[in-house]
Amino acid sequence: MATVTTTAPDTRTFAGTAWSWITTVDHKRIAVLYLVTALGFFALGGIEALLMRLQLARPDTDLVSAERFTELFTMHGTTMVFLALMPLSAAFFNLLVPLMIGARDVAFPRLNALSYWIYLFGGIFMNISFLAGGAPNAGWFGYAPLTATQFEATHAIDFWALGLQILGVSSILASINFIVTIINMRAPGMTLNRMPMFVWMSLITAFLIIFAFPAITIGLVLLLFDRYLSTSFFLPAGGGDPVLWQHLFWVFGHPEVYILILPAMGIVSDILPTAARKPLFGYPVVAYSGAAIALVGFGVWTHHMFTVGLGPIADTAFAISTMAIAVPTGVKIFNWMATLYGGSISIKTPLLFAVGMVAMFIIGGLSGVMLGSPPIDAQVQDTYFVVAHLHYVLFGGTVLGLFGGIYYWFPKFTGRLMHEGWGKVHWALMLIGFNLTFLPQHLLGIDGMPRRVHTYPADQGFELWNLLSTIGSFAIAASLLIFAVNALVSIRRGQPSGNDPWDGGTLEWTIPSPPPVYNFAQIPVVDGRYPAWDAKRGGGHTGAVAAATAHGDEDEDEPDIHMPNPSYWPIVLAAGMVIMACGLIFHQVFILLGAVLFGVSLLGWIEEPAA
Amino acid sequence: MRAALAATTLLLALTALAACGATPQTTLEPTTEAARQARDLMVFVFWAAAVVFVIVESALVYILIRFRRRPGDGLPAQTHGHTALEIAWTIPPTILIGVIAALTIPVIFANAQPAGADAMRVRAIGHQWWFEFDYPELGVVTANELHLPVDRSVELQLESDDVLHSFWVPRLRGKLDMVPGRVNRFTIRPEVTGTFQGQCAEFCGTAHALMKFTVVVETQAEFDAWAAAQLAERTPPSSELARAGEEAMAAGGCVACHAIRGTDAAGVLGPDLTHVASRAHIASGILANTPDNMRRWLQDPQGVKPGNLMTIPELTDDQLDALTAYMQGLT
Ligand code: HEC
Ligand SMILES: [Cu+2]
Ligand SMILES: [Cu+2]
Repeated sequence: MATVTTTAPDTRTFAGTAWSWITTVDHKRIAVLYLVTALGFFALGGIEALLMRLQLARPDTDLVSAERFTELFTMHGTTMVFLALMPLSAAFFNLLVPLMIGARDVAFPRLNALSYWIYLFGGIFMNISFLAGGAPNAGWFGYAPLTATQFEATHAIDFWALGLQILGVSSILASINFIVTIINMRAPGMTLNRMPMFVWMSLITAFLIIFAFPAITIGLVLLLFDRYLSTSFFLPAGGGDPVLWQHLFWVFGHPEVYILILPAMGIVSDILPTAARKPLFGYPVVAYSGAAIALVGFGVWTHHMFTVGLGPIADTAFAISTMAIAVPTGVKIFNWMATLYGGSISIKTPLLFAVGMVAMFIIGGLSGVMLGSPPIDAQVQDTYFVVAHLHYVLFGGTVLGLFGGIYYWFPKFTGRLMHEGWGKVHWALMLIGFNLTFLPQHLLGIDGMPRRVHTYPADQGFELWNLLSTIGSFAIAASLLIFAVNALVSIRRGQPSGNDPWDGGTLEWTIPSPPPVYNFAQIPVVDGRYPAWDAKRGGGHTGAVAAATAHGDEDEDEPDIHMPNPSYWPIVLAAGMVIMACGLIFHQVFILLGAVLFGVSLLGWIEEPAA
Repeated sequence: MRAALAATTLLLALTALAACGATPQTTLEPTTEAARQARDLMVFVFWAAAVVFVIVESALVYILIRFRRRPGDGLPAQTHGHTALEIAWTIPPTILIGVIAALTIPVIFANAQPAGADAMRVRAIGHQWWFEFDYPELGVVTANELHLPVDRSVELQLESDDVLHSFWVPRLRGKLDMVPGRVNRFTIRPEVTGTFQGQCAEFCGTAHALMKFTVVVETQAEFDAWAAAQLAERTPPSSELARAGEEAMAAGGCVACHAIRGTDAAGVLGPDLTHVASRAHIASGILANTPDNMRRWLQDPQGVKPGNLMTIPELTDDQLDALTAYMQGLT
């Protein structure tokens, strides 16, 4: 047995356990923190959605006031994008990237913890607004000049802008961490083109974040200047231009869509081969088409602005680039289908979610092509058609893909399988509920119902579709309850899974479930894309993985594995940052307080003995 | 998967059904060339998408059924890729996208054609949360009800007084935003007389959902008569009650926000009320212009339209009766 040196807190007491989580720098525990927090925010965003759906179930309803409704849709969008889906992807990066590339942790473990704590505090900060005089209410893309002090004198918008700024720091730090990890810490023999597809998509996503977030960061800085220092970057009265905000936002906002979808595509690209017992078809094409989507994704942002009046030349150019993205996207889908083709497909929950993702994402892609045509867009832009489209991409695509990932890797991290029957019920109910919710919204948009309306009159032909949509949303909620119960019960009483319940091909399936702190007793040597398969099936590629799995655990000569020490500086530093933000809202003294905390923890961080 | 297919069938059946119901803001019943072109594109792309959808989804379902794991399955053939195939399947999407782009681009440019010199010019100005319509050539200023002569091009000049709004009458044309600090122009050439419903399509704050308007397309003669009537000063109050109403305008503070030509009222924050009784709706399209509704509005504008910018002190019953009578007389 390899010995592990790390100054771990005593986990026999409750306080000790809590302290061990607060100070953890283990990527797997940070992943669990991300996962639990993100699912919590997912539930919150879901409740906001249900309230909106209740309000819209019937015409002329008074359940939610017009003002409250604006907060609900703003916070629903903001929460789902920044506090639920991105962090869920981050949970998967944390869980999987080190395991898949044969590393013992990420490159910067403390930075990893810092990303998490900033995210948690940023999310709480933003939601405190509900209790502190009103939540953000200008929509999740906060179009100027509605965000100006003149139109929103309370701190609602400041909570939003500062909150997003804080979350951006978290995302950028995490991305730097994962880029360095993936580039530098791959096991010997794991060339870029042998990485699991999820790692490829994580790498591309991290680069997307690094390049996309600066645009919104600048936008938010200018917005905060407008609000706090009376500049007028976005205010025409002072020579500014509200359209500038739209450019800055969507230069970030469109790549953001790929930030949200690529990790799910990576998950699907790893589930399908396992389920079909066949390697991913067209591996380089799938990887490079992901990169192509990401690259072209920076050149399509004004398709969100076809009704702004940018002129026919701009509209034409961006229509073409937008439609062009459909090609690499289609290619990905064909390759997934070819992966399944000729396979021996085990139809279990992960596969069902993965296939559901493919099937629903196709619909979102097709409605995306419709929206890419400016004359069509001019009719359905800012209507429920867009709401339907974006949910087919982000729910049908991202959420289904992520749930597939949860079912697939659950046994790796708990040592137990989730209940298969209830998993299938969850899948079926979620898919039915999802389509019932969002298919009718296409029709609402085509029939002229704008988005972001808190009510509608009875004589518009909107009643039936809205009612169906509300019923569907509750079916989704029911399916999520089933999932939650299934997950909680399975953690304790699920069927023991062994190390490799699905006959997986990638490295994480070669180590125990749950993995030991150090992941790999001996760093594996890789000479193919599916080292675990090679080891199990023998033949062409055997090599060191087989050796590692066979006798790694009892290898007497294994040198001591030194894991990084826990640290409390990440949480303190994150707290300092968010307390400073509070200073811009509650009282200036917090700025000082936060800055001191920030400075002290920075010094502490630097002085901390190297792990 | 099967659920998706079932849902799609349902969708198609329901679309047919929905076409029968009254959908005054539908994009599928265009009455101008521009709206027709958008509709035709939409229908074409929809069917193209439907074909792709059916082919790809049924292939997916077929593969799942055909290649599902059966007891005794050995290891399937380990295919890794196929270069010719990869090239081959980029071709159909590229062609399809090419066709859609080729159909789209001429429409983009056609839509951007400037109006001819003979076009009538109208300024449409978005306010939180109502629309102002100015006819600079005629000198007419009105609100929430845009009158247009049939078969004549109109160049709309879209502006905003505060935040973003979007001008959208689905049966006449796709939307175009009203951006503060900018002027957007587009042309509408109505071909059919009638009343068309429009709505602000860009989120603009609390009362966004209740920011509507109507477009009345009428014959040139009807239009001319309407314009002449709008140009006139207000009809003087004809009853004692209405006269009391005109006096209450000052007491109630109305004059600060509303203009009524022929009186001292010259405010600009709210709609011009000189001919408010000539309009079919009040409060930007959300209430039919009946005496009861008018009284309701004046009694509690915030209750009727939460968040709107008409804030007034509570009026007495007498004032309400008088003001209602006065408003009803402003034909
Ligand atoms: C603070 C400014 C303000 C004051 C004072 C005010 N109004 Fe208004 N009024 C508005 C605004 C703004 C609207 C547009 C409301 C909307 O549709 O969002 C409006 C709308 C109306 C309308 C409906 C017009 C239409 O065509 O839709 C009527 C009628 C009206 N006001 C009458 C009055 C009367 C009578 C008074 C005095 C008792 C009054 N207003 C006082 C601002 C004001
Ligand atoms: Cu986009
Ligand atoms: Cu609006």
